[in-house]
Amino acid sequence: MLDTVREVHTPEGVALRLPAAGPVPRALAWLIDLAIRAALLMAISIVLGLLGRFGSGLYLIALFLVFWGYPVVFEALYSGQTPGKRALSLRVVSVDGAPIGWMASFIRNLMRTVDMLPFGYGAGLVASLADPWSRRLGDMVAGTLVIHAPRERTHVDAPAFAPCAPAVPLQAHEQVAVVAFAERAHALTGERQQELADIVAPLTGARGEAGVRRLLGVANWLLGRRA
Amino acid sequence: MKQDAFVARHQAEWDAFERWLDARAASPRRARRRRGEWDGLADEDVPSHYRRLCQQQALARRRGYSPQVTARLQALMQRGHNVLYRPAPTPWRHALRFLLADFPRLVRAQRGCLWASLALFGLPLLLMFVLIQQWPELAYGVMSPQQLAQVEDMYDPARLAARMTRESQTDMQMFGYYIWNNVSIGFRTFASGLLAGVGTIFVLIFNGLFIGTVAGHLQAIGHGGPFWRFVVGHSAPELTAIVIAGAGGLRLGLALVAPGQLRRIDALVRAGRDGGRLCVGILAMLVFAAFVEAFWSSTVAMPDPIRFGVGGGLWLLTGLWMWRGGRGAADAR
Repeated sequence: MLDTVREVHTPEGVALRLPAAGPVPRALAWLIDLAIRAALLMAISIVLGLLGRFGSGLYLIALFLVFWGYPVVFEALYSGQTPGKRALSLRVVSVDGAPIGWMASFIRNLMRTVDMLPFGYGAGLVASLADPWSRRLGDMVAGTLVIHAPRERTHVDAPAFAPCAPAVPLQAHEQVAVVAFAERAHALTGERQQELADIVAPLTGARGEAGVRRLLGVANWLLGRRA
Repeated sequence: MKQDAFVARHQAEWDAFERWLDARAASPRRARRRRGEWDGLADEDVPSHYRRLCQQQALARRRGYSPQVTARLQALMQRGHNVLYRPAPTPWRHALRFLLADFPRLVRAQRGCLWASLALFGLPLLLMFVLIQQWPELAYGVMSPQQLAQVEDMYDPARLAARMTRESQTDMQMFGYYIWNNVSIGFRTFASGLLAGVGTIFVLIFNGLFIGTVAGHLQAIGHGGPFWRFVVGHSAPELTAIVIAGAGGLRLGLALVAPGQLRRIDALVRAGRDGGRLCVGILAMLVFAAFVEAFWSSTVAMPDPIRFGVGGGLWLLTGLWMWRGGRGAADAR
């Protein structure tokens, strides 16, 4: 329950990390979808209202399509994302990390009937709190999982500096921190850069302006750039 | 090998793979159409490139290359995985084969649940019908007087003349209503099986009692004629679909209560997959039933022999479809 990341080993023997999304972002995404659906039905009803009883028949068909079809069509066609899920960077995938198809999406949305019981997604909430990967009952039956899928940020390369080897070997997470600092340097003010670089003064052996340059040099070295 | 040498050696390969992902991975159909314009990585080489990429990623991790390199490889790998392992799109021409062969075959595969569902739905229906013929006041124990009055009013022989003038606009309205209402009931009958089958059992018995009461009451008070004339057309696909939805729901409940030799979650997934396919067929049947109910059953001018002939014919066809459909095919069960 504490570690919500599911590691899946692909047939090629490498690990995929799937960070499961909890009930809160999913509920928010559902609310956004609900608002979109309501707006859609409102617009449809205004147009069809002009057609009298014929229109009200069409409206009921539209209601059926929007109620049952909306999540299925979006999840199957837009790589597991309804507009609400897209807004919150969520994605539905199958438990082995592969994208979901029509059938899985259809089943997990059919099962909302049960997850909604007794009211306000009570069963779904209990199930997702009890499950290690926050799946609701529909997800379990359909063999799916909702994960966080942040959009890929545009990548900014670290500024080039004369590379210099760190005084002591760095562990992996320390390397990540140094490289991340270099990649974010362009967004930070000079004072903030110095402030951050001063934290690792024992590593660079310098403070202030020189410390920043030294740290960027280490980052360049870590990135494999050699002068 | 030093990291920079590793990157320099494989960089071109990764870039080619990324370019392929950007340009051609999104839609196989578009990729096929533009086969001629593409000069990058050939589609048939992609799987082997992907496997090499996975191997390089594992190597990079093992050797402790900088996180930036491993992160890039990880991202590429994830995208490749999504493309290679996505489910194949179902061609539309399979829809007909599904309806004619796979669906009846799937229904027959649920034999036990199907009989149970039929019993849960049919027995209360028959029981209520027979009992009400004997003791008509029983109907008031199941439904409220207002509900019964409304039903009586709907099938009042005296109102038939008024019905003759019903406009086609109303037919469309009823069509929409039947689709929304009946298909939703069908889907819910299946899905509520997840409550250990209790939900499905309740829906089946409740609907059986209700329909039996309505039919019995109308028969007992002498409004049977208009009622039977109205329901004979669409009863076959509609009642069959409800029973099938019940069978799927019971199967789902059974998977939860008695998973047998499977893990409970695997039994559920399997029952859910079959149930989902059943629901596709149920959707088709109920939409057809709604069409018949709205545009055929409501026509009053039709002479009785034709009306009952068509109704009987539909029962016969539905039975044949379920009994023989998909038999003799190469992969028949």
